Amino acid sequence: MTMTDAESVAPKVEPTGTSADGTFLRLENVHKRFGKLHVLRGVNMEVAKGEVVCVIGPSGSGKSTLLRCINLLEPPEEGNVILEGKNLCAVDPRADEDEEGVDYVRRRVGIVFQQFNLFPHKTALENVTLGPEKVLGRSSSEVRPEAEALLGRVGLADKINEYPDRLSGGQQQRVAIARALAMDPHVILFDEVTSALDPELVKEVLDVMRELASEGMTMVVVTHEMGFAREVASQVVFMDAGVVVEHGKPADVLENPKEERTKRFLGLVLEH
Amino acid sequence: MDFIVDYYFNWGIIKDSFDVVLDGFVFTIKLSIVSGVLSLIWGLVLAVLRQLPGRALAPVRWITIGYIDVFRGIPALLVLFLVSGFLAAGQTDGTIPEWLGLPTWFGQPTWFWYGVIGLTLTYGAYMAEVYRAGIEAVPGGQMEAARSIGMSHGQAMRFVIVPQAVRTVIPPLLNDFIALMKDTSLVFAIGGAEVIDAGFDIQSDTFNGSAFILGAVFYLLITIPLARLVDVLITRQQEKTRRGGEPADSTETRPPSTPPGMVGA
Repeated sequence: MTMTDAESVAPKVEPTGTSADGTFLRLENVHKRFGKLHVLRGVNMEVAKGEVVCVIGPSGSGKSTLLRCINLLEPPEEGNVILEGKNLCAVDPRADEDEEGVDYVRRRVGIVFQQFNLFPHKTALENVTLGPEKVLGRSSSEVRPEAEALLGRVGLADKINEYPDRLSGGQQQRVAIARALAMDPHVILFDEVTSALDPELVKEVLDVMRELASEGMTMVVVTHEMGFAREVASQVVFMDAGVVVEHGKPADVLENPKEERTKRFLGLVLEH
Repeated sequence: MDFIVDYYFNWGIIKDSFDVVLDGFVFTIKLSIVSGVLSLIWGLVLAVLRQLPGRALAPVRWITIGYIDVFRGIPALLVLFLVSGFLAAGQTDGTIPEWLGLPTWFGQPTWFWYGVIGLTLTYGAYMAEVYRAGIEAVPGGQMEAARSIGMSHGQAMRFVIVPQAVRTVIPPLLNDFIALMKDTSLVFAIGGAEVIDAGFDIQSDTFNGSAFILGAVFYLLITIPLARLVDVLITRQQEKTRRGGEPADSTETRPPSTPPGMVGA
């Protein structure tokens, strides 16, 4: 995995369309603005198959926006997102949504949200089966045992028929992970998935994520859990003000940061 | 004083006119149910059209918004006259076939269907606004979650957004239904033989308003329970929202901190 600091004279990367080196996921010079707010200022990043990339950084640094750009919930305005050889941004910029690209990315990329976003009118099981049944058109007799197995894997075998409002935050988040897994994604994005949880519920969610990582799932994890990043990540990416400031092995970035901004951030979060 | 009591509560007239007024009220009920169901459907169609995404579909959104603005902004009676006059004149002219110009579907009289069309056009617009409020009240994360597991906008609306929206808007939709039911009396103006028509005939014959009082009682027998039902539903919803605001009984349902399925896995 290589990453270049984007602030250094925006390297105008050729819009490739395919990644010759077979990189699983590559972001090239990704920009995103919300009105006048320039949230992403040219992010470059590469993720290899099976990697766990933890993205850390102060709030407002663009971490969540970056994740949302990867699965086109927020289509980037500039730059390329190349997933398994297909450039998701190679579309008419005036189009509202590139349905083909969206379809491609949503079938390969799962996402788990900070606020869980479970469907409250569906049981835990129905939350998991809805995608496979309605999007992939599979029969419920086929999908149901798989969904039950997935819920078992996240430790909720006894909760499959509960509605989300009967589940704790940690349980809801584990259902959300099972829901993402049910679509058989090639990579899962985690958007501060433990930030909305009571402290005592954090571990059960992180344990599920550790397990996924150990099984070789490719993961991009935006997190404030430094312990998790140190232990599980293959790469840690530090973002600030819309750019990647520093990246590398967790030991390097977290223990011996080179950049001043990284040092300051780590000083603040590790102090308390 | 005697005159007032006699004018409104002449038991003889009430007894004699009971069957006629009841017949009229049966039409009121039929008209309310048919128009109500069609308005519910038409309103949902309008609300969904109004939420269609993308630049290409902007004209559809504008037309829908224009329609809703117009039909919410003009009296239902005016719509009834526009519809009945147009269909009748078009049929005479030969532009509109008789089955549509002078409809007698399911054995119901023509004025009945004119009323259904006019009220559905108007109340569909009202109900579209109610649905819209419900759709917009569904948190944005729901659409994102639905899209993130690969659903199209249409699938997300159908399986995720609209089912949640409809639950929250049942009370206001019932309120609109009550208003619709009262507005069915407007078909009197296009020759409808409903409660007002029955009461009006009797009033003309007897110079007595008791038949109207009977009609009012019939209305209230339906509208008051419906209004109470709306109250109950709203209270129930509020209680649910209040419960939902708390961390869902985290102490009760929380498993041991390590998910059992993951132990030693």
